Amino acid sequence: MLDPNQQFRGGVFHSSIPDGRIGADIRITPSEIIAEPSAEALTVMDPSQVARMPRWVIPLSECQVDLGGASGRMVFCRNKERDLTIFCEERGFAAMLGDRSGGMLSEQLHVVKKRQAGENHRFRFWLTVGVVATLLFGVIGYYSVLAAARLAIAAVPISMDEKIGSMAMQTIEKEQKLAADHPATKFVTEIVDRLKPHAAIPEMNFKVIVIESSEVNAFALPGGQMVVYTGLLKKAESGEQVAGVLAHEMSHATLRHGLQRVSQSLGIVAAIQFLIGDAGGLLALGSQAAQTSILTSYSRQSETEADLEGARMLHEAGLDPESISAFFDKLKKEDGDIPGVLVWVSSHPLHEQRIESIAKFKSTLAKKEYTPLDLDLATVKESLK
Amino acid sequence: MEVEIRNRPAFANLLVNLQPGDRIIAEADAMASMSSTVDMTTRMNGGLFRALARRFLGSESMFVNQFTTNSSGHIVLTQPFPGDIVCVELRGNTLFLQPGAFLACEPGISLGLGFAGLRSWLSGEGLFRLKMSGTGRIWFGAYGAIFTREITDEYIVDTGHLVAYEPTVSIRVGLAGGIFSSFFSGEGLITRVRGPGKIYMQSRSFDGLAAWTNSHLW
Ligand SMILES: [Zn+2]
Repeated sequence: MLDPNQQFRGGVFHSSIPDGRIGADIRITPSEIIAEPSAEALTVMDPSQVARMPRWVIPLSECQVDLGGASGRMVFCRNKERDLTIFCEERGFAAMLGDRSGGMLSEQLHVVKKRQAGENHRFRFWLTVGVVATLLFGVIGYYSVLAAARLAIAAVPISMDEKIGSMAMQTIEKEQKLAADHPATKFVTEIVDRLKPHAAIPEMNFKVIVIESSEVNAFALPGGQMVVYTGLLKKAESGEQVAGVLAHEMSHATLRHGLQRVSQSLGIVAAIQFLIGDAGGLLALGSQAAQTSILTSYSRQSETEADLEGARMLHEAGLDPESISAFFDKLKKEDGDIPGVLVWVSSHPLHEQRIESIAKFKSTLAKKEYTPLDLDLATVKESLK
Repeated sequence: MEVEIRNRPAFANLLVNLQPGDRIIAEADAMASMSSTVDMTTRMNGGLFRALARRFLGSESMFVNQFTTNSSGHIVLTQPFPGDIVCVELRGNTLFLQPGAFLACEPGISLGLGFAGLRSWLSGEGLFRLKMSGTGRIWFGAYGAIFTREITDEYIVDTGHLVAYEPTVSIRVGLAGGIFSSFFSGEGLITRVRGPGKIYMQSRSFDGLAAWTNSHLW
């Protein structure tokens, strides 16, 4: 199976060679390992050097083998004095060594291989430990940053929310805005006024405008400015359903979810700037982020928080907390498969879970007679035709 | 072909004097100036696949330039970062280079890209390495000064400082000290190299530069 005349490509380390090393062709005879400078190597050598190039010989009987090198598969053969090293990485070299030495060198190699396997094992163990530790650090770090951002936001005055909110408000198309004395505007303003005293931050400067649009949408900006589209009012079945949406949106403002979004999207730098109060820098950064799409698309956690806070507000105001679920449950059932129109629903996914968690929350509240809103939604709808 | 390494060690560059019949192959961006009598041809570095691999895995260029002349002329080759350049002559042996270190070589050298393994990656030397083999001279550069060491046994190098090594050298990663001193001494991981063979190290590391720059950004 083994070709006894096989030549292997490898190299030699010896002090007789200029620069100490050279590429070599290696043969293994029944008694010796013989290395000669490869033809390729000789082409770049001085003729005088070539003449002096010896062949290097290690008797198999005194050969000491080792494994190593960058690949871990390099076979090193050393003489007794250990001043000559012949090395080769080619496939079959180790087998040939073992064969020619009558198994003696295979045993030596086997011992080295066992040592290598142990090292590899330890490496893999520590690699696993390292990867797990890094992941753990990453997760802890991520949540610490989120927690730090929340703390930082608590230290920022509400006036900051208002500034960011106003900035975002400027970017909204207001050509289709309805007048302040329009029945629809009066309708939503009355609902907000009724909810306002029960907000987590009652002194927040809540304002609401109505914009003529077929979009079924409503949102609150940081600082308490809100926009309701007429499409939403047309879809609503009762004043309570509109109140449910508004309570949810007001909660986003009082829970300062917009600022959380900004601080998360701007990263830790902004969070630190919040802390040290460098408002100028933040506003500059904020102006890029002050687009409603960024300020009003919240995390799942924020949505749940707004649902529960909105439900609490409705309850305190004497309205049924399940008004929040009622509205989007209706939308979902009626027009769930019409894309694009139901913006508010599509920006608030996971209906079933939300409906469930609101119902659960309601069951923890003290029993109370809810009084329906004394508002005329029908007239409002009439005025929008 | 006469090649002089000038302005060592900080801003080393190569002055190559070409005679008819001479040929030098250089990294795509390396040419800083040349005589009008020198012809430059661009070729893909070892076929499309190998060229792509070299570009995306080894952070070297997809193309290399080949310089020749019919009369005589010179070229100046530089590397993109400040530091020394060394010349190594291969005589049928092989040398592994850290990605990005390659500058130029004679036509007898073949360039290949090989997987260097997780250990290499962890020690900041990259997941891939450039394999130079054949006969002829190669020139490669480093960030900072280059020092070489002939190692017979084990030697320790900080991560990111190893530029080139022979295939007879093995690389392992380790902690600089115990777990705690390693993290708090700022040394962290180190590279344990084991001979026999020669290693080339750079006196500065790119990670060090990045850390220093970051600390001055804010
Ligand atoms: Zn919401």
